[in-house]
Amino acid sequence: MLRVMSRRGDDRVSWDKQKVSAGDPEAVAAVREAERIFAQERAKGATAFRMNPGKPAERIERFDQTAEQIVLVPRVVGG
Amino acid sequence: MLTTLSWLLIIAVISPVIWLIFQPYLKKWSRAERRAANLLRDVLTPEQCHQLLWHGYLEVQSPSAAGRVYRVPRVQGGFVQVIEDGRAVMRLCVQPVERLPEADVIVLHKLMIEANEEHYLQNANKYLCVDHPSPLS
Repeated sequence: MLRVMSRRGDDRVSWDKQKVSAGDPEAVAAVREAERIFAQERAKGATAFRMNPGKPAERIERFDQTAEQIVLVPRVVGG
Repeated sequence: MLTTLSWLLIIAVISPVIWLIFQPYLKKWSRAERRAANLLRDVLTPEQCHQLLWHGYLEVQSPSAAGRVYRVPRVQGGFVQVIEDGRAVMRLCVQPVERLPEADVIVLHKLMIEANEEHYLQNANKYLCVDHPSPLS
């Protein structure tokens, strides 16, 4: 699942990894959409974190469709 | 006896005051806040949720310095305190470029500190705590 933080809370795109492996068109389309949003937000300066249960969060530079969850946070600045 | 016009006038005057009083509570129930609260619950351990609820802050251990802890306030707009070996040494002001629900801001601090500490510190405005001892509890 991809979760993108925004003023609306977090926007989500989810996909079934098994269906993606099986080539299910809807699941593949969801992954493509998540990948597009990932690239778009990264271009705006967002930071991406891979979250897997029981493991510490990890910053990632590239979209990982095998991740349990990816959280995109907007760019931060000094207040 | 008050006329309708007088009543309307009174309502017009007190409405902003009532809104100011209840707005923070109403905000908690907005869809965005609920979604952000769900993400926060997914990211925090039960102990961290308890700390946030009862102490009003979340302590995040620095991944690079054993004695350093970041104390993230629950309330948006507050400073993040940096505590080293039990003493408050610095306050940080870091915020997202776009407005986020309160719970999302806490998640943002936690993730940035745990997985992108160097960048987090580079971007923060830092205020050194020179001579006051930490009000640790």
